[in-house]
Amino acid sequence: MKPADLQKMSLLAKLALCAWALAGLIAQASAWGFSYGDQTGNNQACLSCHGKTGEVPKGTFIDPQRFTQTAHASLGCEACHATVPATHPDGNKVPKADCRDCHSGISEEYAKGLHAAKTACNGCHNPHLVQNPKDVSGQEINMICSNCHNGLEMTAKHGEWLPQSELHLRMLPCITCHTGAKDYYISMYIVKSKGDSRFGKQEVAEYADLKAIAGGRPIVSLIDTNRDNYVSLEELRVFNRTQKSLHLYGMMTPSTVSHKFEILDSRRNCSFCHTSGSGLMQTSFIAVPEADGTFLRVPVEKGAVLDALYAAPDFYMMGSTKNAKLNQIGLAIICCGLIMPVGHGFVRFLTRKNRKEKEHQS
Amino acid sequence: MSEKTRIYLQPWPIRIWHWINASGIIILILSGAQIRFPETLSIFSSYKSAIEVHNTAGIIVSISFSFWFFYYKMVKNTLDKLYIPDEEDIKHGLVRQLLYYCFWYFLGRPSPYHATPDHKFNPMQKSAYLAVMFVLMPLVGLTGILLLNVTPLRVLVLMWGGIKFIVALHFLLACSLLAFLCTHVYLATLGDYIKPMLIGWEEVEEHEEPEKAPEVAIPGYRPVRHYPEYEQMLLEQRHN
Repeated sequence: MKPADLQKMSLLAKLALCAWALAGLIAQASAWGFSYGDQTGNNQACLSCHGKTGEVPKGTFIDPQRFTQTAHASLGCEACHATVPATHPDGNKVPKADCRDCHSGISEEYAKGLHAAKTACNGCHNPHLVQNPKDVSGQEINMICSNCHNGLEMTAKHGEWLPQSELHLRMLPCITCHTGAKDYYISMYIVKSKGDSRFGKQEVAEYADLKAIAGGRPIVSLIDTNRDNYVSLEELRVFNRTQKSLHLYGMMTPSTVSHKFEILDSRRNCSFCHTSGSGLMQTSFIAVPEADGTFLRVPVEKGAVLDALYAAPDFYMMGSTKNAKLNQIGLAIICCGLIMPVGHGFVRFLTRKNRKEKEHQS
Repeated sequence: MSEKTRIYLQPWPIRIWHWINASGIIILILSGAQIRFPETLSIFSSYKSAIEVHNTAGIIVSISFSFWFFYYKMVKNTLDKLYIPDEEDIKHGLVRQLLYYCFWYFLGRPSPYHATPDHKFNPMQKSAYLAVMFVLMPLVGLTGILLLNVTPLRVLVLMWGGIKFIVALHFLLACSLLAFLCTHVYLATLGDYIKPMLIGWEEVEEHEEPEKAPEVAIPGYRPVRHYPEYEQMLLEQRHN
């Protein structure tokens, strides 16, 4: 055998050895049942165990459907759990990333607020469930708060100064008052009565219910009738008049969510919200539920959108949603009451001599 | 010749009720106006103050209204007689009183109705107070109570047609009360009505000369000598 052939054989043997070693490693990893996940966001290897409730401890279960909706899913499991040992699962906790590695700005903002001394990021956010605020309803945002802040306690505490505190806490995301956001928009949700009862509690309508009502058409077409991805005030009025079982609720939501939680004196001023034509209420969206549990945001014509909600019988915002026609009728009634004093009083003044003469005679 | 006699027209519980009611309604109108038009009016220091004042005044007026009803219905038992117009009031009294306000008053004639403790109100007063005290006040109070307890009384709110309908009704009823208040205050200046509501007593001129036809004067009405056409009408009725 020529030396050159021997050299070729040696190289092939080395390549074969490497291929064998690599195949062995892959086979080993497959046998253990995990991989580091992948950057495409499928994360199937991890979720094949962690996505099943029976196979992993309760605390490490990850709801695959909800996780897929998070921004974190697109980064892949490895982005946060980079150094999972090859021996996993061996009963030891896997290392995880520090939120500050990516969210340093939010972390600094959070450190200045009231919550900083109480809890860390995971006190409110589960990184496997966390979603952009625009993708969740205000009620869902409040559910995060209610994990620590007992609803009854909060109602009583706010009730010390806030009239109808229960109603306020139900109708507003906590972050509207407890963060110093500068811009707000009205986020409108389609609600329906629980159990389809006329007197049932109003709840955010589920995707399946709305799909059934829409009768095969896209849900958004219930409101956006001309399907131009833009809801005019007239379309809102038509929806309120024609959809008897569905109503719209408006929630004033911060445009940019701040993580500096605080108690702001300005929010104790009721006219912050309860003023007609407030600049805070000119931008609106309708949040239409999607099949994957998120919401499609459809922009609404700029203007006093809450006025357009007037037809909804169970929604009224004092001082903000007053009806201009009712004001005119009220004024007409008051003017009728002035006819007697003004008209009669005028003739009375002109005929005052007649009464003086009669008094004199008697 | 005439001399003045005093009639105890307004007992003290009614005087107290009246002035609590009057001041309460004025406060309710002012605070209610600020609640509805916060961008224009700032009568009370803040929006929250206006709401608190409105709620408190509303509760006081509701309690005082219940007291009024209890007093006239249970204690004096004169509610129906005082506030519900009788046949005579409807047939002739209303027209006569309207003619008085529109014409005879300007000619210097006295009011055809003469108040007594059992017949305090003229036919027009009776009709107006019937609408105000038995329709407007109870409705504005009930809608106010519903708006004060939107969450606990949510089912009732929906049964009444929803919060917006109740707000609209409350607002329009309040406007009607304000319209009534303007007319009520003005008409009080036409006769000697304010003094009895302050001190209880009314001074009435009693004429010494014999009445021309006292037997035809219906209780509560002035003797017919002031109104010959009324005497003629009664005579015609007798002939028929």
